[in-house]
Amino acid sequence: MAPELLLDSNIRLWVVLPIVFITFLVGVIRHYVSILLQSDKKLTLEQVSDSQVLIRSRILRENGKYIPKQSFLMRKFYFNNQEDGFFKKTKRKVVPPSPMTDPSMLTDMMKGNVTNVLPMILIGGWINWTFSGFVTTKVPFPLTLRFKPMLQQGIELLSLDASWVSSASWYFLNVFGLRSMYSLILGQDNGADQSRIMQEQMSGAAMAMPADTNKAFKAEWEALELTDHQWALESVEDDLMGRELDFDGMFSKELPSGIF
Amino acid sequence: MASVSELYDVGWEEMRDKLRKWREDNSRNSEQIVDVGEELISDHASKLGDDVWIIYEQVMIAALDCSRDDLALTCLQELRKQFPDSHRVKRLTGMRLEALERYDEANKHYDAILEDDPTNTAARKRKISILKAQGKNGEAIRELNEYLEQFVGDQEAWHELSELYINEHDYGKAAFCLEELMMTNPHNHLYCEQYAEVKYTQGGLENLELSRKYFSQALRLNNRNMRALFGLYMSASHIAASPKVSAKVKKDNIKYAAWAANQINRAYKVSHKPRPSDTGTHIATVKESANTNCCILGRGRPSTNVGFSIADADM
Repeated sequence: MAPELLLDSNIRLWVVLPIVFITFLVGVIRHYVSILLQSDKKLTLEQVSDSQVLIRSRILRENGKYIPKQSFLMRKFYFNNQEDGFFKKTKRKVVPPSPMTDPSMLTDMMKGNVTNVLPMILIGGWINWTFSGFVTTKVPFPLTLRFKPMLQQGIELLSLDASWVSSASWYFLNVFGLRSMYSLILGQDNGADQSRIMQEQMSGAAMAMPADTNKAFKAEWEALELTDHQWALESVEDDLMGRELDFDGMFSKELPSGIF
Repeated sequence: MASVSELYDVGWEEMRDKLRKWREDNSRNSEQIVDVGEELISDHASKLGDDVWIIYEQVMIAALDCSRDDLALTCLQELRKQFPDSHRVKRLTGMRLEALERYDEANKHYDAILEDDPTNTAARKRKISILKAQGKNGEAIRELNEYLEQFVGDQEAWHELSELYINEHDYGKAAFCLEELMMTNPHNHLYCEQYAEVKYTQGGLENLELSRKYFSQALRLNNRNMRALFGLYMSASHIAASPKVSAKVKKDNIKYAAWAANQINRAYKVSHKPRPSDTGTHIATVKESANTNCCILGRGRPSTNVGFSIADADM
């Protein structure tokens, strides 16, 4: 049976709340620092142009039904033609930017590390040192004994349930838990959102941007091949004439005179 | 001369909000902007905070429209002091030079911006406007085409190109541009209507049918588009009166034209305005002439542009 421990309410006042505040403030500071250290991304003309072409092709697929069949086919032919369709013909030069050779990416990575990982380690260590030797809180779900050395740093009790954790684990809990608070206060896409950054780092290593253009072209080509033209205006007159036109309030508004 | 705030009894906050509304709506009422804006910046500049810079820009462009070079220069100088290296301010300098018809210097300014930042769309568009102002329509069209090859998504540019083509009477290409606009804005009834008008002007049975369909689409999107209603009536009557159509098509088109005429009459009733006396007789004439197989308006073929001018299709 898990013993119910009664913790001193001073712990709540002087440990739990300060850690929350510290984590939150450090996150906000990280956000502003990342803004200051941000380098502007210069896009090349080709990238801008390519992204717009992809958008145009997507719009053609989605809204092609609003233009006459002939025009749709003309555009589809322009993009997908076997010999000189745009998607078939254009091959962009692919230079996957490896972190070692591309200096700007290197500095970006370093800045990312400095602003995010380093403070986390430092503050985590400081909290562990300051608030050590006592139980801070209890996680609401049962944990196995294997978690004890990880979550109960500094508490040397062999028989204590693994659910009772130390302040360092409370700190880590906060780092991830306050993410939604950051979105609320700092708006989306903020620099304090650490787990998102870590996710990006993991998937970013597998994804190289320029190669994307060729692949994106190929994907668009396939999608466009499959699209058919269903003219939305087949029976528009009959739809329209099914009922009387709605002239409600058309002439009743007074025309505005003067500026205000 | 009484100031705006005295005439309308408004405070500076209302004036500032009005200017913001005009910015968001992109309305080109330059004289009003100059009146309101001039007073705002001369009397209340300190209270505006950081808003003042964008108001300077807005008032400057309006001042160029109204030939108020003094006001434009003042605004420009303030902006230049605050943002010395900005491309946006350089573009405004170029615009002022254009207004003074010093086109070569303006061109140099824009080329400098483009050297620094090849993706800057504003500078390219100003260069095309210079060509248009100088009357070099052909070159403007060529440059605009090149611009659009790079920046396919720029809707303002597609619209401008369609206007240029209409001025050159190249209706096929104008229709292409309007198709692009219709695809990106499928719910905008004005593009449908303009497209229908271009198709109507091109003439030929197929184009007339297309134009009738697109007029109907414009009406479906906005029941109150009177121009589209008239367009529907005209195109349907034209097809009905054409000698080459089958009897069923003729019958359908007469039905459409009659419905359109009905709606027009209803609209006049709703507006309590007296309807022009020939609408009613016009419909009777359509039915008669369709039966006797001759064209309504006295012209030989439906492909002639009968009184439906595209030139005032600017909205």
